[in-house]
Amino acid sequence: MSVTAYVMVKANTGEADRVKTALDDTDDVVEAHIVAGDVDFVVKVETDSPGDVKRVVAGDIRSMSGVERTQTYIAMDD
Amino acid sequence: MSADFDVIRGSTGDHHPRASGWGQLFYRDLSYQARMRFVIVGAGRVGLRTARVLREEGHEVVLVEGHDDQATRVRDAGFDCVEGDGSREELLVEAGVENADALGALTGDLNTNFAACLIANHHDCRTVMRIDEDYREGIYQKYADEVDEIVYPERLGAIGAKNALLGGNLQAIADVAEHLQVVLFTITDDSPMKGYNLSEVTLPSQARVLAFGKAGGPMGVPLPDDSLETGDRVAVLADFDVLGDVRQLLLGRSAEETAAAAVEG
Repeated sequence: MSVTAYVMVKANTGEADRVKTALDDTDDVVEAHIVAGDVDFVVKVETDSPGDVKRVVAGDIRSMSGVERTQTYIAMDD
Repeated sequence: MSADFDVIRGSTGDHHPRASGWGQLFYRDLSYQARMRFVIVGAGRVGLRTARVLREEGHEVVLVEGHDDQATRVRDAGFDCVEGDGSREELLVEAGVENADALGALTGDLNTNFAACLIANHHDCRTVMRIDEDYREGIYQKYADEVDEIVYPERLGAIGAKNALLGGNLQAIADVAEHLQVVLFTITDDSPMKGYNLSEVTLPSQARVLAFGKAGGPMGVPLPDDSLETGDRVAVLADFDVLGDVRQLLLGRSAEETAAAAVEG
């Protein structure tokens, strides 16, 4: 079972390029974009299970320097 | 920020209303400027105050405000106000974005501000966007092509608060670029240049006198025969490297003190 999730990432650093590179280099992250608005990145994650989403978001993304908080939305139509 | 230099050029006729961050210093120099049209999105503390300053300088301002009680206050203050969501194109068109010289997206909501700038940019309107956290300044400068200028009101407030706390005869007014600052000096009895004319003040090559004001009088365009007396104020644009020399010349104090005061300008 494959799971797709969209993760809204709020940063607290101006080093957007560094964070984007770190996101791009993270396993199971398939897309990462710098966006305007009250979050700074939208990240698309594709994993084999819902548990892996938690590993990527809580483990990898939220532990990155410059990441303040995340909000995750799991896609239901695929 | 190159935009701030337009304020300086304002005294020679090539002008734009880009005085953000310069406080009242250039107010009089800009006051003759042609009447311009502005749309201000958000009539809170920042938006309404900006609208007042623009109106005082003779410009035409239309505000866009989403809260009906605030919109009523805006109209009571004599402003034109379009009521509704400032991120909707039809409202911005109603407010006159198609013929405006610039739009200021000054709400506290980043999404609204950015959307308003996108729409205004589409209508070939200059755009100024308020951001809510300082770390975002560099990100928007780099990535938000639709936004011409970014303002972070808290930074300007902090400069004012710092100047008030420091007091004294030197005020950092604005960071023009990373190594370039505008500093306002107040001439004291100890100033080495006291009693001299401005034409006799030889500043370092990386410094320029921008404005001059007699004690208690308004700031204006500096003239060669303006004499420096106690209480007069001189606004100088200077590279950080020569700020100490400028201070030494105008106030007679040490370079170290100047550098300490200039940090975090």
